[in-house]
This record gives sequence, C-alpha cells and structure tokens, in this order.
Amino acid sequence: SKGQNGPSRNAILVSHRQKGNPLLKHIRNVRWAFADIVCDYLLGQNSCALYLSLRYHLLHSDYLYYRIRELQKNYKLRVVLCHVDVEDVVKPLLEITKTALLHDCTLLCGWSLEECARYLETIKVYENKPADIIQGQMDTDYLSRLNHALTTVRRVNKTDVVTLGSTFGSLSHIMDASMEDLARCPGIGERKVKRLYDTFHEPFKRVT
Amino acid sequence: HRNRNLHLPPPTPEMLQFHQHIISDLLEDPTGGLVVLSSGLALHKLISSLLLQHPSSHGSLLLLSATPSQKHSILSSLPPTAPNPSEISADLPLHHRLSLYTSNSVLFITPRILIVDLLTSRLPTSAISGLIILNAHSLSDTCTEAFIIRLLRSSNRSLFIHAFSDRPQAMVAGFAKAERTLKCLTLRKLHLWPRFQVQVSEDLERDPPEVVDIRVPMTGYMVGIQKAVIEVMDACLKEMRKTNKVDVEDLTVENGLFKSFDEIVRRQLDPIWHTLGKKTKQLVSDLKTLRKLLEYLVRYDAVTYLKYLDSLRASESFRSVWIFAEASFKIFEYAKKRVYHFGRSDGVNLVGQSKGMTNRKRKLDSSRDKEDSSSTSTTSKIVLEEVLEEAPKWKLLREVLEEIGEEREKQALAREELVVEGEDDDSGIVLVACKDEHSCMQLEDCITNGPHKVMREEWEKYLLSKVELHGLPKRDKKKPKAAKGFGVLDGVVPTTPVKKAEVSSISKQENDALLAAASEISKRARKDIVVDDNPTTSLGGGGGGKGRVKGKNKRTSSTDQLSRNTDDTSSNKTAMSGKSETFTSDNESNRNDCSLVAGTSCEGELRGISAGKGILRKHAISTTTKPFINSKRLPPMHFYALESGRHMLDILNPSVIIVYHPDMAFVREIEIYKAENPSKKLKVYFLFYEDSTEGQKFEASIRRENGAFESLIRQKSLMMLPVDQEGHFLGLNPPIEPQSLSSQNLITRKAGGRKEAQKEMRVIVDMREFMSSLPNVLHQKGMRIIPVTLEVGDYILSPLLCVERKSIQDLFGSFASGRLYHQVEMMARYYKIPVLLIEFSQDKSFSFLSTSDIGDDVTPHSIISKLSLLALHFPRLRIVWSRSLHATAEIFASLKANQDEPDEAKAIRVGVPSEEGIVEDDVRAENYNTSAVEFLRRLPGVTDSNYRGIMDGCNSLAELALLPVERLAEMMGGQKAAKTLRDFLDAKYPTLL
Repeated sequence: SKGQNGPSRNAILVSHRQKGNPLLKHIRNVRWAFADIVCDYLLGQNSCALYLSLRYHLLHSDYLYYRIRELQKNYKLRVVLCHVDVEDVVKPLLEITKTALLHDCTLLCGWSLEECARYLETIKVYENKPADIIQGQMDTDYLSRLNHALTTVRRVNKTDVVTLGSTFGSLSHIMDASMEDLARCPGIGERKVKRLYDTFHEPFKRVT
Repeated sequence: HRNRNLHLPPPTPEMLQFHQHIISDLLEDPTGGLVVLSSGLALHKLISSLLLQHPSSHGSLLLLSATPSQKHSILSSLPPTAPNPSEISADLPLHHRLSLYTSNSVLFITPRILIVDLLTSRLPTSAISGLIILNAHSLSDTCTEAFIIRLLRSSNRSLFIHAFSDRPQAMVAGFAKAERTLKCLTLRKLHLWPRFQVQVSEDLERDPPEVVDIRVPMTGYMVGIQKAVIEVMDACLKEMRKTNKVDVEDLTVENGLFKSFDEIVRRQLDPIWHTLGKKTKQLVSDLKTLRKLLEYLVRYDAVTYLKYLDSLRASESFRSVWIFAEASFKIFEYAKKRVYHFGRSDGVNLVGQSKGMTNRKRKLDSSRDKEDSSSTSTTSKIVLEEVLEEAPKWKLLREVLEEIGEEREKQALAREELVVEGEDDDSGIVLVACKDEHSCMQLEDCITNGPHKVMREEWEKYLLSKVELHGLPKRDKKKPKAAKGFGVLDGVVPTTPVKKAEVSSISKQENDALLAAASEISKRARKDIVVDDNPTTSLGGGGGGKGRVKGKNKRTSSTDQLSRNTDDTSSNKTAMSGKSETFTSDNESNRNDCSLVAGTSCEGELRGISAGKGILRKHAISTTTKPFINSKRLPPMHFYALESGRHMLDILNPSVIIVYHPDMAFVREIEIYKAENPSKKLKVYFLFYEDSTEGQKFEASIRRENGAFESLIRQKSLMMLPVDQEGHFLGLNPPIEPQSLSSQNLITRKAGGRKEAQKEMRVIVDMREFMSSLPNVLHQKGMRIIPVTLEVGDYILSPLLCVERKSIQDLFGSFASGRLYHQVEMMARYYKIPVLLIEFSQDKSFSFLSTSDIGDDVTPHSIISKLSLLALHFPRLRIVWSRSLHATAEIFASLKANQDEPDEAKAIRVGVPSEEGIVEDDVRAENYNTSAVEFLRRLPGVTDSNYRGIMDGCNSLAELALLPVERLAEMMGGQKAAKTLRDFLDAKYPTLL
C-alpha cells in the first residue's frame, strides 16, 4: 500500500476519501498529495492517521471500527485523529476511546480543523526527531536554570526568583539563608518563607 | 494516659456565652451540623471546648483537615490538665495507628491517611464516634472528606459530624455552595453565627475596649503612587469589560483590592479560558500584580518598595499591559523619588521635600570617581540626592508609644501618692500588630535604632546589592579567593534583564551615579575592615550615622561569604563599638531602665511559647541592643505578625494594642479577648492612612462578610435536603449518577450469556492519588479501591493496563520537566497497554488552546508538538481524553470490562529494582522531602544516576550549599559534574540595573 517515491517522501499522502475535507486547506507547513492509500493520511514510513469527526461518529458509530480493521498492522503508529465538534462529548468520546484502545490506535483530539491539521503536520515534520524537548532539557542559561530550580518550591514565582537572587547574590546564599533573611525579602510572605526554608533545611530523607 | 474520664465537664468559666450557645445548638442534633461563623471569633477555642466535652467512652473523635496553625492554636487553648490529642501521621507504624484508633481519644488526622486506612479496612469504623471537620468551605462533592464520610456513614449510623468554617465569603462562592457542602457532609443543620448576631454582639459589646482611631495622611508621593495604581487598575478593568467575558458588576476597583477577586474572575473565565486572547489573560495577571502593589505601598518602606518594583520590572513579561500604561510611569517615578533624586548640579534644587525626610546631598564629581566607576563618562557634575522618605506611620507609632509611656509614668506617680495597690494591670505589654514578619522586624528596628538608621541601612543595602551584582567594586583584590564566583557561568549570564531595565526609566547617568554612590559606601565598608583598630576615623567624617555599615550589609555585598566571615564579625564589632561611642551621650540610665523592663517582661514569657514551635523569631526588644537616642521612656512592647496565624493575646496579655495594619479578624480577636477579660483595662489604637485603600479595604472586608452572611441566611431558608424514613439524611450518592454503570454492566453480561454474579470491579490506586478526587468517584461507581504504593503508574486496571493520570496543569509541567517521558517509558516497559489519561476539569474548558493560540508554524514549545513527539516515541502508548472525573470513571469501567482484575501483589513489585534493597521510591512524600529532592534534581550537574549519592552523602540542601567541590565529587562520582554544580551554586546573580 505504500507507493511513495522521490518527491512524495517529504509529503503527507492523503487518501482520495478525504477529498473535500476542509481540514486540508490548513495543512500549510508540509506538502501533501492525494494518493491511493488505505488510511486517510500517510504520515511517514511507519505512521498513519484516520480522521474522524465526532459529529460523524454520532451518525455512523461503526465507521471507525471498520476503518481500523481495514488498516493492516503495517504501521507502528496508528493515530485516530478525532475532531471534537460537538458539545456533548462524553458518550461518543467514550466509544471512540474504547475502540481506539482495544485496536491499538493512539487517539489524538483536536478542537478545530487548524488543530487537527497541526497534529498531522507535526507528526510528519517530527518523524525523525529525537525526544529531547520532552525529556526535560530546557534552556541552559543561568537565569532559566535558576528559575527552573527555585520554582519547584510551591508558589515561588519569577519575581520572587529575581528578589531572592538580587538579595542574596547566589544560589548557595539563598539555600543557606535564615528564615529571618528570607522574610525580609519583599513579596515573600510567611508561608513562602516556610516552604523555602523547609525545602532547604529539612533533610532529604525523612525517615532513616 | 489517653483514656480520659471526662464526662461532660462544665464549660470552662471563661468560655463566652455565645460559644456555649453554638455548642449546645450543635449538640442538639445527634447527627451533627455545620457551623459557619465570622472570622476572628476564636474558632480554635470553640473547637477545644468541644473536644473537652467529648465523652471518652463512646469512641474516638477524629479531627480532620486542620491546618498546622489551626492545630497549634487548638492545642494551645486546651487546658494544661487535659490530655493532648495525638496526631496520626503516615510514618506511624500500622499497629500503633490501630491502637490509637481504638483508644477512645481525640486524634488529628489527614484525610489522605484516613481514607487509605478505611479502604484497607485497618480502621474499625465502630471505633469512631465522630468527626470534626475544619475548613468546611473547601469541601466539594468529590473531595476525599466526602469519600470518608460516605464510607464511615455506611457502616456506622451513629456517627456524628461537626463541621466548621470561619470564612463565610468562601461559603457563598459558587452556586448553592452551602447546600452542596451540607450534602457532602450528609448534614441537615446549618448554624450561622455572624458577628452581627444578637448574642454575639451582646457578648462582645458589653465591655468594649477603649478605641482610639488615628488617621495619618500619606506623603504626597504615596498618594501619587496610590492614585496611579488605581488609575492603571481601572484602565485594566475597563479593558476587561470590553472583552464582554466577565460579569461587569464584579469588575470594580473595590473588588480588585481582594484576593478573592482573582477567584471571581477565574471562575467566570475558566470555562472559556481557551477562547480568550493573550491580552485578556494578561489582564487577569496584571490585576493581581497591581493589587499587590497597592498592598505593599502601605506595608513596605520606600526603599523596599522600590526594590520590589525593580524585581517586578526585571521579571514581568514584556507582554504585561500595565507596565506600559501611562500612569505606570508615575508609579516608578514616584517610587524612585521617595528614595532619591537625581539631577545635574548646576540646575536648581528641584524638589521641595516634604517633612520627615532625611535630606542629604552627595555631590559626585564624576571625574574624581573615575577610579571606581570606570563606566562613568560624563564630565559635568551630577547630584544624587538621597530622599529616603520615611513611612508616616513610623513617626505616628513612636508618638503613640511615647504617649503611652508618659501616661503610665503619670499613673505610676499618682498611684505612689495613693496607697500602693496590687493592681498594676495597665503596665502590661504593648502589642503592636502588623501584617507580616518583615514589618515586625523593621518596626522593631525603627523603635530601637530610629527611622533614619533603618532607612539608611535599607538604602545602603539597596545600593550595595546593585554594585555587588554589577561586580563593580572588586573589594577583595588582595584575597586569593576573590576570583571565585566569576566562573564559566558568570560568563554565560545574559544581559537581558539589564536591557529590559534600560528600556524603562533609568538612564545611564543615573545608573552610574547610583553605582558611584554604592561604591563609596562599599569603600567605606572596606575602610572599616582595614582600619578596624581605629574605628573613629571612618565614623568621624560621616557624622550622623553615615559611617556605619552593619555586618548584615556586608554580607550581601561580599563575593564570597565563607572566606569573609571573620572579617565580617570583626568589622561588625567595630561598627558596634563605634556606635556605642557616638551614642553614650545623654540618658544612659534612662535607657537601661527601659530595656530592662522590656527584657524581663517579654522575653521570659515568650521563650515558653515559642520554643520549638517554629516561630520565626522573637520580637521582644532584647536587653543588649542599644536603643535609639530617646529622651522618652517607652513601654515594653511586642511585635506580632498577623500572618503567623498564632493567637497571642491570651499569652501576652497586653493592656494596650496598637493595630498597625488593620485587619478584620484581628479586631474580632481583640473583642473576644476583652470579653473574656471584662475587668481588664484595654486600650486599642488603630493606625490608618487617611484616604488610603488600606482603610477602604478594611471597611469593605466587613461589608463583604456581612453580605456573605445575608446570602447564607437566604440560602438556608430555601434549602432542600432529602431525608430518609428514619430521618437520616441521604448523602450525595443518589443524585449524581443513579447506578447507570452497574446496570449497564448487567445488561452486557446478560447478553454475553454468562450468568455471573455481579463481579466486583477492582482498581489498584497509588497512595499519592488520594490527593485527587478520582478514587472517590471510582468508588461511587461501585469499584473497589485498593490503595498501595505504586512505582509505575497511578491506576492499575488490569494485569495489562496501567494508567498515568495527568490533569491539564500537571501535563504541561511534567512535559517540561521530562517526568512524563520517564513515566511513560516505565509504563511501556512493564505493561502491555500503557495509558496516558489526560483529565480535563469539569468546570474548565475542554480543550488545550484557542484557535488564535495555535499559531502558523510547528514550534517545539506547543503542546501539540510535545504530544505528537510522545506518540511518535511511544507508539504503544494509548491516550485517553477525559472530559471530567465522572467521564474518567465511565471510561475506566468500560476499559476494564473485558479484562482480568489486577493483581495487587504484582502491581506493587513492578518497577522496583530488587537488587539488594535499592528501591526506587524517590517520590514518596512520606519518606522524602519531595520539594527538596525535586529541587536537587533540577540543579545542573545533578543527574538521574548521581542524585541518590548526594542524598546519601549530605543531609539537606542547606548543607549541600556549603560543601567543597572535592566532597561533591566524591558523592557525585565525578569531578566534572561536581564542578558544574559548585559553579552554579556560587555563580553570581546578574545585576538588575
């Protein structure tokens, strides 16, 4: 079922079934072309997507099941892209969730055609991207790292980080500050003082 | 000793009549009731009286959901003869907990522990006679407390429940909140006790204290700032109105003064949050910032306020609307003018100072200063004039204190002339009540050392922090360690905050002048250190407080604190001795007198109460500090922070109270105190700023509370509460979802032809999940909940199916931290069907972003990108999108339908490395200081593989901060990581200027 060659490798292949789907006009960051494929959208070597609007599902509740059955197990990632276009979502979404889960599909929900299109684009663009942006690596400059660390303490915000930084001069001085000195910082009330102080002074392990 | 033989003792004599009434009303109904009373009406005393009346023969009484400060005040208002209630904490071994449950005593417990013990049937429900639930306003239909009540009620029909709230405003937030709260408590009786209730006001107004209301005008600049802030606030509110998204009625400046304003706005906006533009969202957060600015204006001194504004400017996003509003410019400008004035020397003196300011001109010839500030490039003379405006209330406070002192002296004389009587009632302590610790410390300093000195110190600190951050006065040249802290990280420090600040009002010249002034101060400080055997030289020149720098200041300015410690202390000594020399002028004897009085009367008493209770510090003026030159004798005083939530009146027994920052709840506390001590003479001073939002807010808070009660009274008359035949109140369970689920199941089962008896569905739930409401809702749906500690996943639905639940907020956060990636990785490793449950909240919008937020490009920060990437990397991961808790429960039930029941013993073992006891259990809150661990793991150089080593090798983060790099290397198993960490800890924070 995979007829991609040269030019179409970097494009999303779209099934003829999707002709007339207004979603198509929102695919702008990636090229796309119609092709003879079983799935609705072919997003890469190993990934494909089926498109389903909740409204359509309410009229044809078996549709999704038949479409999934049609797909063979050729793809590692099989996405059911669900367009949430009705108000009362609970029941139809439950059915779709169950069908997708029991038939090894990953359900993604979009609330507008733009959002749905963006999922398709992103999966295509990120086809070979490493996972580092979701592995917790963040900006490496000093302030970002300091913010990152200090904001683990509940309710401590960026303004507080600036206040603490400029008052104590370095992180080690902040960590070693007395309650009294912390309390002298504008904007840092009793509860924040206590939380900060406890974070720094309570032992890592409560029970030995 | 826990078994008490107290059988309904007579109420303690000092118990107020209306308190007695509340209790007898409450006890009328054997099932219990909900009491809502005005804030400040001594709820803790009410509770402790109730505890004393608990008959020990009937079973244990559980006290649920008390905050630490509530717990503390309840305990401290119990008579010393009564046995102290025990506290059940998670680290208490099981058998110990069990014996406590059955001990017929009073127990503090958290809902999370209680629900787990109930679900695991460790707690025999018959051993419990009743529950006391505090903070009833924070209950909701699906909260853990409601879950507990349902479980207990179902097996123990004689259970009584007493619930309390002293935040009536919170009881009217949302539709029919009171009625819903009663339902989830399974109670019928609502008792309302507003301050304006006849009995309450009779009790409290019988012998009212003498009240003196003093209003002092704010300075011109303060008025200007207040006006400007309100102007900006009004502009923001107008903008909000234009969006047509919020009920216009609520959008008033008066509402904007209260914290609850955010809640009002959020509640209206939450369901449509995704459709809002960035601007509207920004407006919401701007209003919050502005409210703080108003509050801090009357609370902080001029320098601290400026510092706060500086911080704000450096951290506020460039999107904020308010910072660019025209009036905002005035806020910054006036705030600065309260501290210093900057201009050219050839110009005429520009500002006419208002009274009460220190005017000191410092001419800075920039050419002369070049050696210090290399950046100075101008040639003309510039003048940095210190204004250092003092808060008008400072002076007022002093005057009031002096007046009290004089009065007492007169009275003492008069008494001596008469017969000496034992009643020295009015010579008690003067209590000064302020909002926060910071104000307490500062006021105390003001009274001890004089306002000039306080302002100077703040100012010097302010300047030094600027210099220090600039790295300007390389004061430690001779020290070998001076170069430390200028490591790689310092080089990396971006200059963005500098630029941001420059955009605003500080010009380069002004900046230079500030730096020059600062370097002069630090030069003096250096001189102090160098010539520490000859302190007078540095002191003589400056005159009136100029030459002195406290050790405190130096610490902030030193580049390497550790290496400088010795210098600091010696210079501190210098400064102190210098000071005492300058001050041994007039009335030494008088002063000693005064401090002696203070020392004996406060310190002794204080030590007793503050021991081990975590009070920040004592405010009693200690005998050793040298008081500020003063001809008048001051009464002994104590500074008390309202924020601490401790009830000090009964302990300190003051005869005069000065309410420095007016607060409604505290006023009631005073009333109660007076009513309980009718014979005591009590005088209360209120210090208000005239025409300030402070006064406005105080009055509005009373109006708001009364309004809340009126609404509650109305609601009470209209309530519909279902009752069963025996008169028992029906709980919540029926109305929610009339067993749709089990009946559905029944049908499918019948259709399947298997005539199986209703099989119980089981779900294994991680202990930590009991912070959320989902276990409760699952239980309502008829599932059996098995609480265990899980290493992998939050819910185990079947041997194959493991669910990680993320609320929307958690989802974003745990994507950012990488935690979600790790969790999914683990689930995928151990379970065939790993599931990520994205749980939206019922009352918020069901979507991620508004169409306008999607943007035109594929960007790595978008949630769409992150989810797509997660799906790409874990194609087996199933994503479940749930509209609400109840929808989740439906989904769980349907997913479980064709699967086997999960195995508890197996689930616990999953993901736990078995090799010699190394157990991966870093997130267990009971055993770990989780925020410290999380903090640690976010530090540069710390990795998944070395953080445990650090935790083994040192006790706390504070300890870590002091460890040398060699020691770090040992613990972290590598030089490089240790150096990265050490450098980060020591890196100097970049300047604000």
